[in-house]
Amino acid sequence: MVPTLGHVAVVVGLGLTVYAAVAFVIAGRGGDPRVAGSAGRAVIGSFFMAAVACVAMVASLLAHDFSVRYVAENNATTTPPFVGAISLWAALEGSILFWTLLATGWASLVLWRHRGRHRSLMPWVGATLATINAFFFAVMTWPGNPFVRMTPVASEGTGPNALLQNHPFMALHPPLLYLGYTGLAVPFAFGVAALVTNRLDEEWLRIVRRWTLVPWVFLTLGITAGAWWSYEVLGWGGYWGWDPVENAALLPWLTATAFVHSAMVAERRGGLRIWTGALVIATFTLTLVGTFLTRSGVVASVHSFTQSAIGPWFLGGIVVALAGALGLLVWRLPGLVGGGRPSGLLSRETAFLFNNVLFLGITFAVLFGTLLPLLVATSSGQTISVGAPWYNAVTVPIFAALLFLMGVGPALPWGRASWVTVRERFTSPMLAAVAVGTAALLLGLREVIPLATLCLAAFVAVILLDEVVRGARARARGRGEGPATATWRLATRNRRRYGGYAVHLGVLVMAVAVAISSGLSIDRTVTLLPGESAAIGPYELTHQELVVEPLADDARVIETRAEVRFAGPQSGTLATALRDYPSSPTAIATPAVRTSLGEDLYVTLLASDATSGAVTLHLFVNPLVAWIWIGGAIVGLGSVFSIWPERRARTVTVEDRQAAAVASVEGA
Amino acid sequence: MRLLRWLLVPIVVLPLAWLLLSGFGRDPREVASPLIGGPAPAWTLTTLDGETLSSADFAGRPYVVNFWASWCGPCVDEHPVLTGTRAELGDDLAMVGVLYQDATADADAFLTRYGDTGYSHVTDPDGRLAIDYGVTGPPETFFVDAAGIVRDRQFGPLTRALMEERLASIGVTP
Repeated sequence: MVPTLGHVAVVVGLGLTVYAAVAFVIAGRGGDPRVAGSAGRAVIGSFFMAAVACVAMVASLLAHDFSVRYVAENNATTTPPFVGAISLWAALEGSILFWTLLATGWASLVLWRHRGRHRSLMPWVGATLATINAFFFAVMTWPGNPFVRMTPVASEGTGPNALLQNHPFMALHPPLLYLGYTGLAVPFAFGVAALVTNRLDEEWLRIVRRWTLVPWVFLTLGITAGAWWSYEVLGWGGYWGWDPVENAALLPWLTATAFVHSAMVAERRGGLRIWTGALVIATFTLTLVGTFLTRSGVVASVHSFTQSAIGPWFLGGIVVALAGALGLLVWRLPGLVGGGRPSGLLSRETAFLFNNVLFLGITFAVLFGTLLPLLVATSSGQTISVGAPWYNAVTVPIFAALLFLMGVGPALPWGRASWVTVRERFTSPMLAAVAVGTAALLLGLREVIPLATLCLAAFVAVILLDEVVRGARARARGRGEGPATATWRLATRNRRRYGGYAVHLGVLVMAVAVAISSGLSIDRTVTLLPGESAAIGPYELTHQELVVEPLADDARVIETRAEVRFAGPQSGTLATALRDYPSSPTAIATPAVRTSLGEDLYVTLLASDATSGAVTLHLFVNPLVAWIWIGGAIVGLGSVFSIWPERRARTVTVEDRQAAAVASVEGA
Repeated sequence: MRLLRWLLVPIVVLPLAWLLLSGFGRDPREVASPLIGGPAPAWTLTTLDGETLSSADFAGRPYVVNFWASWCGPCVDEHPVLTGTRAELGDDLAMVGVLYQDATADADAFLTRYGDTGYSHVTDPDGRLAIDYGVTGPPETFFVDAAGIVRDRQFGPLTRALMEERLASIGVTP
């Protein structure tokens, strides 16, 4: 009964989105505005249908209704309710269902937020979003039906994906990432609408900037949470492995970040219109390619689900989206050329331009690395894999250059900078970089990348500080406010600028933490009998006991656990385990991490011998890892600060003004 | 010039589509076996019935080596394919099963539950043979021709069609 309801909701959702897409096109071509209103209500209806389907799926999971194949394959009678509920995104079909919920949610939110405004743009925005959502409903109606029934009904299910079960972070990482992915359809829809209506001016940029930043924040947090999850769960001591699916999340993030910057230039100085349009198209296409790579099983990865029939559908979707959007761009090309105000070589827009080139460079490198195994396999039949060393060698120098630009950009004025300004702005940051570098060298730091990152970070940090202090001082002097009040008032009245500074600060913190933790971490593998000890860095570890027992909340899972005592800068006990899940052929590692602000002590159980109680442990001391997560949080907070609506700034659009003019004429 | 502009669309879209399309039907975990074209590893091992069996016993005949385990799900799926091939071809094709990291009692129980294959299974206690063949995980199946040369390898479960295709490489037609 409940699964049938879910399936019906999916089919109704498909009908509603198809209707909405057609009706929006009619409205966009000059039809009755009431048609657009009706289409908008259909989109909101499709969101409710997706919600009903999701609730039906979660209810089936919680009720262990093994007549539904998805439940039988991802749930067992012993599955705890929390794990059961988040199994909604444990596998392919459920993920698409959840994805559709978020995508229809975004579409409803956009149409509701801009109801009654931007009359020419919105029908096309609605049509694009409804078409994308119709695609997902269609996938769920045909090849990826989450509610497929199974007879005879199994008495016990396979149980959820072991990796999903192993860490509560799985409740956070996929939803954040999906919110980012699905949200990036919104700027794409605005881009399509702007191209169709030939209004690729400042208006669409202003709207789209915010609709890009919000999913961008979710994507950033989703990627960070994913890195954190992989660090806490996978047990190899790292947080980023250049796995194809990590790359798939990074690719749209890179182009979206490039867009956020180029949009600023386009808005302030005009020009770059083809470029920003292309970035929006690329970003959305890359989210589709990412999904395709994750969900079709074409590229090997920790994340890949089983091969399935939805692959060809997704491929078709990618081709239609990319060809359609590019076609629109080419069609409008003549009207998009030029239009920018001239600017000097030494200017903020030049810095932003370089920023964009570098972001695109990383995007191409990562895309190339991700697709190369496929290309080689196709052309020569050889199997290759592109590993972390290649990605690091290619991207680290570009990331370093971006870090440098992060300091240079905000310190340069728009238009044209004089050499005097340059000297004035960059002398003390340069000195700070040299001072920090010398200090680090004297303290014995010899690794190039951490050293260079520290210097760059000092350079950028001093510039940021200088910007904030200079502004606050001017305001404090002019208005007689205290320095703290002046800074806060200035920040809340220039949210974009100061939110941007906060984001840059967060990125800076992350960059330093990544460089130091990957450059200076130490690890060793030891085999210890109970009572024996081993040393790593400043720590001394003693193996106390090997325990083999079923998990308290799921007796089908057998845990082999090493209990370890450690002493050093901190002391205490850790327990690291290997867990045997009935649904997984290999044991799942459960590393033990003792986090502090200075360093993490990270212990993974590799192997054990039940008779002697001996354990083989992989020990790591990873410096500053906690700061990666702190940096991520700063980025998130900074973005929220930047997007937060400004108190006075009620944006008045051209259409509003026209409406007001019409009203006054009619009144007179 | 106008036309050139429009060419941009297929120039971007087609290569990407072709590349992604080419990924279908390929298992990315599959690594080409270096054994193909070379002599099959030799072995002498004990069967589940306690008898001694050697690769030399197959000399001059094409044979199939199937690595499997009772704990392996896909091995259940391909079991009827193996049994069917055996029933159909009989002595035209020699076949042998190799236990991959499995307990003898569990393997016996598997064969009792899903039906006997009609050919022998050997134990590989220290995993030597699996290492010689470069097996990454069951099921994995190797096809050796009458001259003792490895001609093909199936990574993952066999289907009826795959079995026929692979057997053709060692000159056997079912």
